[in-house]
Amino acid sequence: MEYMACLWSFFACAAFGLIYNMRGKTLMLASLGGALGWFVYLLLNFVHNDIFQFFIATVATAIYSEIMARILKKPATEFQIVALLPMVPGGGIFYTMDYCVIGNNQMFLQTGLHTLGIAGALAMGILLVSSLFRIGSRPESVNSAVACGSKRHFFH
Amino acid sequence: MNYDRLVNTAADMGNLLIENGAEISRAEESMRRFFSAYGEAAGEVFAIPTFISVSVSTPDGRPITAIRRIPVRRVNMDRVERANDLCRRICRTKPDFDAIEREMHRISSLPTFPFWAQTVAFALVAAAFTLFYGGNASDACVAFLCGAAIKPVWRLLDHFRVNQFFIYIAASFVPAAIALLFAHFDVALSYDKITIGALMNLVPGIAITDFMRDIIAGDMIAGVLRFVESILVAAGIAIGAGIALTATRTLLGV
Repeated sequence: MEYMACLWSFFACAAFGLIYNMRGKTLMLASLGGALGWFVYLLLNFVHNDIFQFFIATVATAIYSEIMARILKKPATEFQIVALLPMVPGGGIFYTMDYCVIGNNQMFLQTGLHTLGIAGALAMGILLVSSLFRIGSRPESVNSAVACGSKRHFFH
Repeated sequence: MNYDRLVNTAADMGNLLIENGAEISRAEESMRRFFSAYGEAAGEVFAIPTFISVSVSTPDGRPITAIRRIPVRRVNMDRVERANDLCRRICRTKPDFDAIEREMHRISSLPTFPFWAQTVAFALVAAAFTLFYGGNASDACVAFLCGAAIKPVWRLLDHFRVNQFFIYIAASFVPAAIALLFAHFDVALSYDKITIGALMNLVPGIAITDFMRDIIAGDMIAGVLRFVESILVAAGIAIGAGIALTATRTLLGV
């Protein structure tokens, strides 16, 4: 029953893809990435550490996005932006704000820091995967680039 | 070689990419590749999310520069994808500038989804995220309404050229207020899940994803700019929903 959330995240991502004006196969595969991310998150429920779960789930979606981008020869951001959405701590931001408005400072700080932790986990996940997939693509210094001609590959 | 057109076309290419939500590194790389395709590997490009500057030196040493200011950025992945394809094609076939400009014009005038379809998409996002966060079917129906309210509010304020930050405040206030009103009359509804679902529409996904990719790629200024943007948007969303919460609690005594 818990895994129904994967289905909802698929639909949520698909609708969001429409807002971003994505179409066809890209839209479907990007939404599938969103469902995959949440599936990984749920699979890791046994560790009882949601920041770690978010990190691994982000890594999984990021790898999925990079692979899809290379297969379909499309920008990886396209997949990543949509697939990452279910992991964005919308709930955390809302409850943080809610505690702030009520004036419950202790819960405000606790929820706020936890939300920041999740955001950090997402950022670290993207950082790790993008860096690994882009080894060798850092721009050379201008002079050497001119001297050896530009042999860099198109990145995705 | 017509250097004026070379520089202008490169700047337009970068403009097209950034305006529709591509990463900075992609835009810069595209412009650089464009230059090397036409034998000007020494062309210099610099871009941040609001600004592009492109410069080459002619053989007689005269520098030619073009800049583009990008006041409004949308997210239109279809256009990014096509611009990216066009760029690859240019590097392969090196067409003349007229053909490139025609093609770029065609890409930037491609149809987007009509207003009603976007409204429905916003509503569907809200409903799906409410279910995703554990809401039930009736929560999802209310969220559908809340989500549908966002797009018209956005469009109205955009029409009056209200600044972006205020648009976010208003666009998060309205769905939150609707959710709280419904929850006031039907206690079974969970207003928090509805509000979160509806507000997911406004989450700056592009800024969050791209800021890390920009920083990794070495575009520090662009990354920091996007980071600040995402913090501001999140603050705007929280302020709008916070006003709605406080107002309903004070007025209706929820």
